[in-house]
Amino acid sequence: MACTHDHSCEDHDCSSNWSLYKHIDLAKVTALNEANPGSVKSVFKAWEERLNSSGERLESNEGDPELLVYIPFTSDVKIKSISVVGGADGTSPSKLRVFINREGIDFSDAQSMQPVQEWELVENLQGVLEYQTRYSKFQSVANITLHFPESFGGDTTQIHYIGFKGEATQVFQFLL
Amino acid sequence: MVLEATMICIDNSEWMRNGDYGPSRFQAQADAVNLICGAKTQSNPENTVGVLTMAGKGVRVLVTPTSDLGKILACMHGLEIGGEMNLAAGIQVAQLALKHRQNKKQQQRIIVFAGSPVKHEKKTLEMIGKKLKKNSVTLDIVNFGEDDEGKTEKLEALLAAVNNNDTSHIVHIPAGPNALSDVLLSTPIFTGDGEGGSGFAASAAAAAAGGISGFEFGVDPNLDPELALALRVSMEEERARQEAAAKKAAEESSKQEKGGEEQDATMTERASEGASEADNKKNEFLQALAMSMDEPASSHDLQDTEMSDAATEDPELALALQLSVQDSAKDSSSQADMSKLLADQSFVSSILASLPGVDPNDPSVKEVLASMQSQSEPQQKQDEDKAPKEEDKK
Repeated sequence: MACTHDHSCEDHDCSSNWSLYKHIDLAKVTALNEANPGSVKSVFKAWEERLNSSGERLESNEGDPELLVYIPFTSDVKIKSISVVGGADGTSPSKLRVFINREGIDFSDAQSMQPVQEWELVENLQGVLEYQTRYSKFQSVANITLHFPESFGGDTTQIHYIGFKGEATQVFQFLL
Repeated sequence: MVLEATMICIDNSEWMRNGDYGPSRFQAQADAVNLICGAKTQSNPENTVGVLTMAGKGVRVLVTPTSDLGKILACMHGLEIGGEMNLAAGIQVAQLALKHRQNKKQQQRIIVFAGSPVKHEKKTLEMIGKKLKKNSVTLDIVNFGEDDEGKTEKLEALLAAVNNNDTSHIVHIPAGPNALSDVLLSTPIFTGDGEGGSGFAASAAAAAAGGISGFEFGVDPNLDPELALALRVSMEEERARQEAAAKKAAEESSKQEKGGEEQDATMTERASEGASEADNKKNEFLQALAMSMDEPASSHDLQDTEMSDAATEDPELALALQLSVQDSAKDSSSQADMSKLLADQSFVSSILASLPGVDPNDPSVKEVLASMQSQSEPQQKQDEDKAPKEEDKK
């Protein structure tokens, strides 16, 4: 279900479509098995900066390419598609499984549970690939958990950018 | 103030019977556990703590993470010592217990007390450590007790595998004069990752430095306010009594130069102190002794009036008082007389017999009498011996 853009990005401002990052509650984003605690927050940025690898990136621990990223949103969102930019030399993730509206998932849960949707990823160093979702299942997403079980043979998994395309509803999450 | 769920893994293996950490390794461990629980719940009221044992028949969870301190303390009672510690299984069960914590927002932490030899391979421990790190669980290791070859090395390897940015710690505690809990107070396990220490840890550390572990008198005012109050009151009473005794001793030594009024005052003061706790009979006895020791010249009148009060109530006592006063009147050094009088055991026993609640055959009374005979020291000490003994009987 990967698709490439059918137009060149210079004419059309794609960034406005990928603006769901603004609705991410960055303070509460967490990741499991990341080498540097807190580095996960650096992968959520504007579309233009998706290839900007000068800053931090999300990297898993040595010898263990599994990653689990928990992303809460500030309001319910509808997600149309997801884009992931990985690292070079086989450190891109090869698979993606997502879970919706479940908190506190850890690796054993993620491995045993049935995901809402999963994709076989392709190395996407230029950031032109996006993966469409089964939109009907992603209508009211308060939080999403991304599970990257393996990489393309690299020792670790590196992620430079995660983008969401869709719309935000105005239903705000009031957390007690 | 970090929100945390903690599982404490206790070592209740046979090696814990050893007494090199007083009173026994197991008891020292239990005290440390109590201290940790208190510290965690105090630093953040929403923190939860759970306890499991690693030895015995198998790994057993005594209490799942809860913020109820009473439950945790209760489960520490009646624990049996035996078997061998299973470190790997213990940590894994702790991880499982933390996984099912009610509040998923809490950070996960495991504190392990490793007192007996570690029989697992270093590789196994490293793998466990990696798994903990992957699931964002921090680990604190308390290495005490047995120190066989490789144990420290294995535990250090485990820590290295788990450690993520210095959030996990290991402490090595050798056997020594300090209690296990006191030493723990100064470690990062209590001071918590460089937060600067919670108020609990700081105050407890200060108290520990004074030789008292934990709270004043070793009792938590929160847990048992009545006991703490009782201890404090009795400590103050004892202090006051000793102060008065010290004062008297100082005055006795310069008795020949000074007038007897001071002594009189202190004696009656002591007697009145005694009155607040003891009954009238004892008070009269004290006063009788006091008066008999005063300088006869200066305070005869006082003696007479006081004695007549006493006399009206108990003729036997009055007789005793008379005897003692007369004796002291004859001899300027009433002290020697008093000791002679009290040395006369039959005289003393007759006095004591007249007092209700005092049994001359009581071993403690006999002991006091024996000590008085052997001493030629000032009366005050003997009074003190008698007074608390009699109070004890009450």
